[in-house]
Amino acid sequence: MNYRSMVLVSGDPRSMERGAREIYDQFQREINALELENEVSLAWMQDVGRSDAVPLAVVYPEATIYGPLKLEDVHTIVEEHLYKGRIAPGLQAPVRELSGHIAWISARQGTLPAEQRIILKRAGLIDPTSIEDYIADDGYQALANILANMQPKEVIDQIKASGLRGRGGAGFPTGLKWQFVASTPGEQKYVICNADESEPGTFKDRVLIEGDPHAIVEAMAIAAYAVGADEGYFYVRGEYLLAQKRLRLAIQQAEEMGLLGEDILGSGFNFKLHVHSGAGAYICGEETALIESLEGKRGEPRARPPYPTTNGLWGKPTLVNNVETLANIPPIMLNGADWYRGYGTEKSPGTKVCTILGNVNVTGLIEVPMGITLREIISIYGKGMAHGAHFKMAQTGGSSGSVIPSTLQDTPMDFESYQENGVSLGSGALLICDENNCALDLAIVLMNFFRKESCGKCNPCRIGTERAYQILKNIAEGVGTMQDLEDLKFLSKNLIELSNCGLGTTAGTPLENILQYFMPEVEAHIKLKVCPTGVCPMSGKKAYPKTKLVQLEQA
Amino acid sequence: MVHITIDGKEIQVPEGTTVLRAAEQADIHIPTLCDHPALTPFGGCRLCLVDVKGARTLQTSCTLPATDNMVVTTDNERIREARKFVLTLLFSERNHFCPYCQVSGGDCELQNAAYEQDMTHWPLQPNWNKYDLDASHEYFILEQDRCILCRRCVRACGELIGNFTLGVEERGADSSIVADLGVPLGESTCISCGACVQVCPTGALIDKKSAYLGHEVQLDKTESICIGCSLGCGIDIYSRDNRLVRIEGNWDASVNHGVLCKVGRYLPHEAENWDRIYTPMVRKDGKLKAATWEDAINAVADQLKQSSRTAAMASTRLPAESLYLFKQLFGDKLQADTVTSIEEGANTKLAAQLAADLGSPFEGSLSELEKADCVLVLGADLVEDHEVASFFIKRNVPHGTRVISAGCAENAIADIADVVLKPSGDNYDNLIQALSAALADKPVTALAKAAGVDEAAVKEAARILAAANFPAIVYGEALLKNASLNTLKALVELGHLSGAIGEQRNALVSVKGKANSMAAAQYGLEQAMEISDEQAVFIALGDDCPSQKLIKRLENVPFIAVQASYSSQLTAHANVVLPVTDWTEQEGSYLNLDGRLQTAVQPIAAPEGVLTNAAVLEKLAAALGYHLDAAGWKDELLKRVPVAIITE
Repeated sequence: MNYRSMVLVSGDPRSMERGAREIYDQFQREINALELENEVSLAWMQDVGRSDAVPLAVVYPEATIYGPLKLEDVHTIVEEHLYKGRIAPGLQAPVRELSGHIAWISARQGTLPAEQRIILKRAGLIDPTSIEDYIADDGYQALANILANMQPKEVIDQIKASGLRGRGGAGFPTGLKWQFVASTPGEQKYVICNADESEPGTFKDRVLIEGDPHAIVEAMAIAAYAVGADEGYFYVRGEYLLAQKRLRLAIQQAEEMGLLGEDILGSGFNFKLHVHSGAGAYICGEETALIESLEGKRGEPRARPPYPTTNGLWGKPTLVNNVETLANIPPIMLNGADWYRGYGTEKSPGTKVCTILGNVNVTGLIEVPMGITLREIISIYGKGMAHGAHFKMAQTGGSSGSVIPSTLQDTPMDFESYQENGVSLGSGALLICDENNCALDLAIVLMNFFRKESCGKCNPCRIGTERAYQILKNIAEGVGTMQDLEDLKFLSKNLIELSNCGLGTTAGTPLENILQYFMPEVEAHIKLKVCPTGVCPMSGKKAYPKTKLVQLEQA
Repeated sequence: MVHITIDGKEIQVPEGTTVLRAAEQADIHIPTLCDHPALTPFGGCRLCLVDVKGARTLQTSCTLPATDNMVVTTDNERIREARKFVLTLLFSERNHFCPYCQVSGGDCELQNAAYEQDMTHWPLQPNWNKYDLDASHEYFILEQDRCILCRRCVRACGELIGNFTLGVEERGADSSIVADLGVPLGESTCISCGACVQVCPTGALIDKKSAYLGHEVQLDKTESICIGCSLGCGIDIYSRDNRLVRIEGNWDASVNHGVLCKVGRYLPHEAENWDRIYTPMVRKDGKLKAATWEDAINAVADQLKQSSRTAAMASTRLPAESLYLFKQLFGDKLQADTVTSIEEGANTKLAAQLAADLGSPFEGSLSELEKADCVLVLGADLVEDHEVASFFIKRNVPHGTRVISAGCAENAIADIADVVLKPSGDNYDNLIQALSAALADKPVTALAKAAGVDEAAVKEAARILAAANFPAIVYGEALLKNASLNTLKALVELGHLSGAIGEQRNALVSVKGKANSMAAAQYGLEQAMEISDEQAVFIALGDDCPSQKLIKRLENVPFIAVQASYSSQLTAHANVVLPVTDWTEQEGSYLNLDGRLQTAVQPIAAPEGVLTNAAVLEKLAAALGYHLDAAGWKDELLKRVPVAIITE
């Protein structure tokens, strides 16, 4: 049965105490009365974490929460929302207040309070293999409007005005990047979508592509029009087979409908899209390494300058944007720059998709306004620390982010505030660690990742990450010395300053953060030969060097 | 032009110049490791870091393009710290045992860079990981312990040679130089050109023959040319105590710009295994016995005087001066029945005839091949015989150069060609005309059929030629074998039609034969040798190797006199053997395939009792009562209309 709507009534004990059974039966009666039983499905659900608003009912696909409900409200909801298709006024669950400087929209969107879904608006709610579903929700409307009514320069101006910043980790103003590419002279230009999502703990791009591929396809077409490109590539991580499949299907569907290819919508604009698969290298998420990989060469970052905006794929001006950045483009073009500025903070407008991982009660993917604090994310979305433990540190932005100590829990999560405090947002993964995690162990895990993923071109990174890892391992075995700490500081400082690309630079950052904020813990491993959390092996045997030196016999 | 200030010095450089090259221009030294003037910049070693005003981090000067009003500092506290850091890491990455390495003590760029920074040791303990040694290659060793992953070898193998044998496998700390997909060098696609060995900054790539025979300061260096083939690549000959140590490519030479092939770099060492002839020999009672110069020369002279038929043949490895004397003696004076070169005109006669008919040269310059975006190779195996020319083509293929190979034999150029045409019977007449017809939009079917090639392939080849902006045509022995004057005329026409020959450029080249093939042609040494049973044959072999075919042809000749450096079946069979210098022991002039007149400089003193090729001919002439002119060799060389313009 293909239902168009779904009603879920909360059936947890607290709701049942407050008459949920009767409300459920009433829904059934009202639905049958209007002969909607084949269009609307009704079901029970358990706790959604809104004990302040029970008994409640959630109506999908809009994910509107109504509550606390009285029996007479049921009729209004069924008539207004399910029959007439409008939000039943005055019956929605109250939205919880958050930090004062975050802007609000009406809580029509989002299943959880403060989750403002711009990017993830459709993901999980529509059929990603159906272009019609996408079109039905204003899909390709932005593109059509642009091709009919706007010049490329106007598109760029609007993106600039919106203040959108890159969501891949660097936070570079997107409109400015588009302008660089657009203003570089050249007949042939390219746009590339960087979907090589390899930061540990990050899977936002995957959800975006798998759930709403057409949004990115449309965004690429808009970007190409704005900068003057006629060919585009998706560079998708090799492990994301489903995402690649969905993208290829989406491209094919768009081509069949004349939304891609030659003379799109009769505007004279041509745009061809390709999907290229990565092959298991984190470094290929770096834009110039990505371009090298696209060209069939070893994925190693190029020397910059020149930058891809002037000299990119095959030497031509190229625009490289992250998936999440691109996902913002159609909404901005549809609703305007001012609308977008209504979210987030002044310098970092919009929302950010974050993944919460680690020792919290609820892990997963959320979309939150820029400027929210870590504490709010943990308490509201993570539902607090697991097992009542205390927050110790968080790794933000995947391995290329920073380690946040508890003192920075209340710092707004936007590019500026974090930078001022010497830390970075990165790609949005939030690994929450509690008092049972060892800071040194975290450093080892991160450094191991970097030494394995280092491309090997420049020696500060190739050799530096390897040596840092070996030193850290020795400390974890209980054979570290204070000189090792000096060596680590020496290595991380030079890693940050002398590396060829971001990998080396950000390999040093978490190490520096840990040495800065958790020095007593690290020193305990060395001076007291003890791991305070009991995580590190502390065997007393040197882990490196591994090769046994030949012992010569005495004559 | 761009104005930039380096360490306070203001200079102007063309746009696109890197800061490193600009600094060189201003006489400011910036240390480098992965950089090499003949290779594209890499930016991996991080030794050349400089401080650019306004930049957040230090920049690699080898890759950074100079921009207007850029202010650069090449030396300060931070930079010196960075250099020490980089060198420390490099030394501690792999196992650098300086005491045992042959480049340690002056020839190692890594060690020199460390000394330059006043380092005497490195503070980080080495890894002590195990790294491989690959000694499977015939001519060199790859010792991974000493590799700093500067990628010079990989770049040289790709950018200079176009062979792409060397690469990097794995990533990060597991990165390693590898041949092909991970095979021992001795089993790889390596063509033994040695470019990688020449560019390696440390002792990671070691030349087997010359290792431990001396540091560069202890060796004598002679700038000369290779006489392995008609290209005449510029070489640096390193010798010590009058012995050949090593041959390297001369980076400043106009012909090859530093690259060499196996023939030029390694084959000369083979001579160490050959039997050298140190004394004249005369056959008495059926056996070759040592004789004095006087006796030997007289033995030859007597025979030449009384012989009714004489044939004389000179190797095209001989210098022009000797060839001139040879021609005078056997041609003008003795008027022998055959006076020719060992090639017997196979590579040059027809073309020389055409030049004479036209009254002017019709071939162009080899340097056009380096810039060509389409190369048509007809009847020439460039890889076997003139390998450096093949590098010029192979290395440009990744940049879009198209290759059309016309020839019946299997060859490595056909392997990379866009179109391969195999004319039946190795006859190129119809094929050339078919290509011309296709270019001129005339019917091709009949001609293609006559040539025995697929019509579509001919049309495709023509299409590629027509689309090229800088096409080049190279032809060689296989084409000339079954050709007539008309074939060459048709070829010239194809040159015009395709654009290989135009107002501003001429890119039609024939590879000719050995080193002085063209000089032999200019001296008219092009006859086919006639052998009969009552004949005296004189072979001025020099240090050449006689072919089995030649040896067989001379089987029944009653009297053979040979002037040679090394023993061979020919000398064993001869009646008189006269010892001569080899190419390193003599000086002389060589005319290369596109008319460049170059000098081979003598690096090694001749052994006692051995004479130069010229001296032997002069002695023989004197014994016969003739006086030969030595000085007029150049005028004589320029007399005939050459196929390519002669330059010096």
